Amino acid sequence: MLSFLAARQTGLDDPIRFRRAESTRRVLNLELNSDRDVAQIHGNGVNTLDIEVIEGRYMLSGGSDGVIAIYDLENNSKKPQYTCKAICTVGRSSRHVHKFSVETVQWYPHDTGMFVSSSFDKTMKVWDTETLKPAEVFQFEGNVYCHHMSPIARKHSLVAVGTKDPKVQLCDLKSGSRIHILQGHRGEILSVRWSPRYENILATASSDSRVRIWDVRRASGSLFTLDQYNGDKSKASSEAVNTAHNGRVNGLCFTGDGLYLLTTGTDDRMRLWNSASGENTLVNYGKVSNESRKGLKFTVSRGCSPEFVFVPCDSSVAVYALHTGELVTMLRGHYNNVDCCEFHSDYQELYSGGKDCNILAWVPVVRHADVEDEKATSARGGTQSVANPAFEDAWSSSDED
Amino acid sequence: MDQTKRDKLSELVEELTTSGEPQLNEGKMKEVKKICKTSNEYIEHFYHLIMTQLNQEHAEIRLSAFQMASELFSRSHHFRVLLVTNLQEFLELTVETDIEQPLPPPKEVARKLKSLAIQTVQSWYATYGEAYKKLSLGYNFLKQVKKVDFHDVEARTLAERKRQEEKQKRLERIYKEKLEKAKQEMEEMVPEIERCLTEMNNCLTLVLPDDFNFCSLDPPPANQEAVSTPFFQDRRNSSGSCDNEQPCCSKELTNNRDDKMAEVKEGEEETKAEEEAEEESSEEESETEEVLDEDSFIRSTGLISHNYHLDLDISLDLKLKETEENEAVMNNLKDLHRLISTNHITAVQSWIQIFTKVGVEEELLRRAIDLKKSLQSALQKHEDMHIDYKHRDRRVMKVSEDGEEDDEDFEEVPEKEGFEPHIPDHLRAEYGLDPLPSTSTSAVGPNPVKPVVKPPTLPSAPTVSRLKRRMLDEEQDPTCAAATLRVLKQRMCSEGSLSESGDPALSGDSGSKDSKKNQEAPVIPFGLDIYYWGQEQPTAGKIIKYSSQHQFWVPNEVEEEVENKELSAQMKSRYITFAGRFQPVQHKCRAPMPNGSLCERQDRVKCPFHGPIIPRDELGRPTNPEDAARLEREEWKRREEQPDWRDPELMRDIEAATGEDLGSSRKFGKGNKGKGKKKKYPNLTDLKQKANTAHSRLEKKVFNKSSMRRVAEVLNKMDKRKHEKFSNQFNYALK
Repeated sequence: MLSFLAARQTGLDDPIRFRRAESTRRVLNLELNSDRDVAQIHGNGVNTLDIEVIEGRYMLSGGSDGVIAIYDLENNSKKPQYTCKAICTVGRSSRHVHKFSVETVQWYPHDTGMFVSSSFDKTMKVWDTETLKPAEVFQFEGNVYCHHMSPIARKHSLVAVGTKDPKVQLCDLKSGSRIHILQGHRGEILSVRWSPRYENILATASSDSRVRIWDVRRASGSLFTLDQYNGDKSKASSEAVNTAHNGRVNGLCFTGDGLYLLTTGTDDRMRLWNSASGENTLVNYGKVSNESRKGLKFTVSRGCSPEFVFVPCDSSVAVYALHTGELVTMLRGHYNNVDCCEFHSDYQELYSGGKDCNILAWVPVVRHADVEDEKATSARGGTQSVANPAFEDAWSSSDED
Repeated sequence: MDQTKRDKLSELVEELTTSGEPQLNEGKMKEVKKICKTSNEYIEHFYHLIMTQLNQEHAEIRLSAFQMASELFSRSHHFRVLLVTNLQEFLELTVETDIEQPLPPPKEVARKLKSLAIQTVQSWYATYGEAYKKLSLGYNFLKQVKKVDFHDVEARTLAERKRQEEKQKRLERIYKEKLEKAKQEMEEMVPEIERCLTEMNNCLTLVLPDDFNFCSLDPPPANQEAVSTPFFQDRRNSSGSCDNEQPCCSKELTNNRDDKMAEVKEGEEETKAEEEAEEESSEEESETEEVLDEDSFIRSTGLISHNYHLDLDISLDLKLKETEENEAVMNNLKDLHRLISTNHITAVQSWIQIFTKVGVEEELLRRAIDLKKSLQSALQKHEDMHIDYKHRDRRVMKVSEDGEEDDEDFEEVPEKEGFEPHIPDHLRAEYGLDPLPSTSTSAVGPNPVKPVVKPPTLPSAPTVSRLKRRMLDEEQDPTCAAATLRVLKQRMCSEGSLSESGDPALSGDSGSKDSKKNQEAPVIPFGLDIYYWGQEQPTAGKIIKYSSQHQFWVPNEVEEEVENKELSAQMKSRYITFAGRFQPVQHKCRAPMPNGSLCERQDRVKCPFHGPIIPRDELGRPTNPEDAARLEREEWKRREEQPDWRDPELMRDIEAATGEDLGSSRKFGKGNKGKGKKKKYPNLTDLKQKANTAHSRLEKKVFNKSSMRRVAEVLNKMDKRKHEKFSNQFNYALK
């Protein structure tokens, strides 16, 4: 760290390099910390989380009980211990609450005054954050599994919606109507994602085990379908042609730069694709346990090198190196399946929600002083042990004989 | 890290977890702690060991592992960190947080483990909750999501509580129904039972008047041995004013003043004496005396003092015999006894069971219990009587036969059959004969002596079978053909002997030789060979053959006769099958069997299970050393040559798949070791042991392979038959 600082001071290094190194280090030190709590609002599993990018301060959460909560993540108390409070909720008492499980929530990418939520009650609601009332309600024929707004779109304000219907719906927030459908899938749409690089590029994943990439300006069909065998027909059985996984594909995630696309499927695999060519990069992540019948929300880090993938894996969150596929660590803390995780790129914090109703904050642990100043460590260690007697060993003297 | 210590630790953990005991062995646990204390590395190793043991599908192993974990948890920070990081798995394995991973059997231990785990987690939370984030998360998870009530002793989750309640309710309903039924039944049955009881009591009193309750409801055990021990001790005072005394075989003289006991017993005894006549007890107090003063007492009895210690033996071994007089009562008694012991007692018992289970009002229960007591006492009384019933079926027959009164007027007369040549003297008048005429009244024919000689043997030999007797009778009966035949025979005989004796020159020597030969010669069945004995048979074995069937045309050379060797041989030969006499086998195989007994098979040469039968001692060991050596060799050979399909690995796989014991755990050969878990951890409860219920037994019968195959065969056959029947119809043919 000192060398980095020195290099930075002398101007030898790019500022971004130092930032990357530090954030990578922080990501590697993610840990469940008693300093950070998230208030428990949901009486049932937490399905989805979203942190807004403008201030990086507010987090949305949607639960299986239909409740939506907004948390304030910023710690203004000047103490290390902080519990993220829910500043407002759309609770069960609200008139506008979703009847059934909320599957996806997303902030409007350009302003915190609006967010969109979709639910198994076959609706998607556009909410006004101030009044917590829906400004617009879209009604669909089937359960809504997912929706997504392009994080970079300036020319359109389309929401791609995946429902039980195999057609992907595009809703225009400007007109408040469903303006377009994308046909091609044969199963329910479990995940949709806009490319963070090109505003018209959309990826959709379906239970027919295919992933299609669309250009929404093109009406005729998808650009291409991701093929796990990269077009090698000899390996694929006839029905496995052009499939991304051998089971339902239930998770999609673009990397921060939009160059790669990650998919997860119920075949317990995660695959990394070149999003421009649709080529399978064949990175082996090993087994990523995945039994979800619904969409799985996972995320990648931003501003680290190498980048990391945070993917729910049963009751823990697995952290993989993106390009090597190496399992870095497992974040264990949930007591039931984890459904979603969200990375806070400003503070390198991870929030994860699971079926055990908890939202856990994974915070980088503060790095201990180096070995050089032993005095400080010993003093510190001493104080720590005094501060927290629970960390002491308690071997009774009777054990000695 | 010391390898030996590490190994020791592993060993200790395994020993402790597989002990199967509810509490850990203190000494061993202390050792574990001692090792763990030295370094964190051991703690890590210990943690991994514990987690593997917790993953075992056996509640006892898990319980012990959990106890060890909780021991270390309170001591080592490092262990706490390790455990808390993986707390969700730990909870899954101990508190059953995952529904899909229920705690393994045995159930009782699993329940204990769960409640213990919940209590422990709570205490952990109380002490370490603040310090370990995940621990508090886990606690909250249990509390809020799993809705575990930590104050509930049973440590049940909400769903379990609900289930329990429902079960309770259902049980209650069932009990209620049962109770109602029992009550009703009781209402109906009680009068009958009471009637039965009184009847029985009456019968008993009729049979054996029992005024003092000698055969009391529950005689003290000492009374059973009353034969040998002094039962009644009669102590009386010389100057006592008691008026009737029975001095009797006195044994001891005592000066004690009488106490109450004696008084009571005395009274009993006296009254008893009057009625005890029919009992075969050894009392000899036949005469009761009025004694007014000592002198007269002495004079009349020859006994000096009044102070006697009187020992009376009253045998309670009553033995009642069913006789003609008490027959009706006995019959009744027997019926009642049977009724009570089979019907009433069981019914009452079941009522009591139901009442105690449901918790009914005391009144009812007491009534039932009283009823049971009285029934039991009645049975006991009956038991004490030792009634000797006559054999029942004979009894019934006799009753029906003797039923008519006038039968008794007739005298039993031995059955008469056939001709009676011998008439007893005193019956002659009845027959209308003169007293003692010549015995030859019945004898007709030239030989008057013989029939007279024979008859006396007749009655004296009752063993002579009836048929024979009848034949003899007939022969003696002059009206029968048999008699004539006999006469003729006799005549023939006498003639034969006459000729023999009359012509000694001709047959003197050879005759006797012939008869000797005749005696020796075997009797064989007559056959063709005998018919042609010593002759040449020209036609024997010749078959005339007509090769041409034509009426006129005859082939040139005709060999008309063909000699069949076989046939001709048959004419001359005779088959005699030699069958020896059957001799039952006396010896037994006597090879030792796995159940400890000796083989009981009686084969002549070779036992199908134990090979050739050889002499063995009483333990089944062969007596000849060479035999023993040979057996040993064979045994080795057999073990070595286990067939391929009995590969222990494969067998074990199959066993695991089917759950049937094929015997893979038995040791085969030298190299293989039985690796059964049972052997490994004998202390644990065996999970594989199936409950021996009616269901499982039936299952074994119904679903065993051969029976299934049989059923399948029959079904197939039925199918086939249908198929064959309609095979010429295209739609059946297609199938």
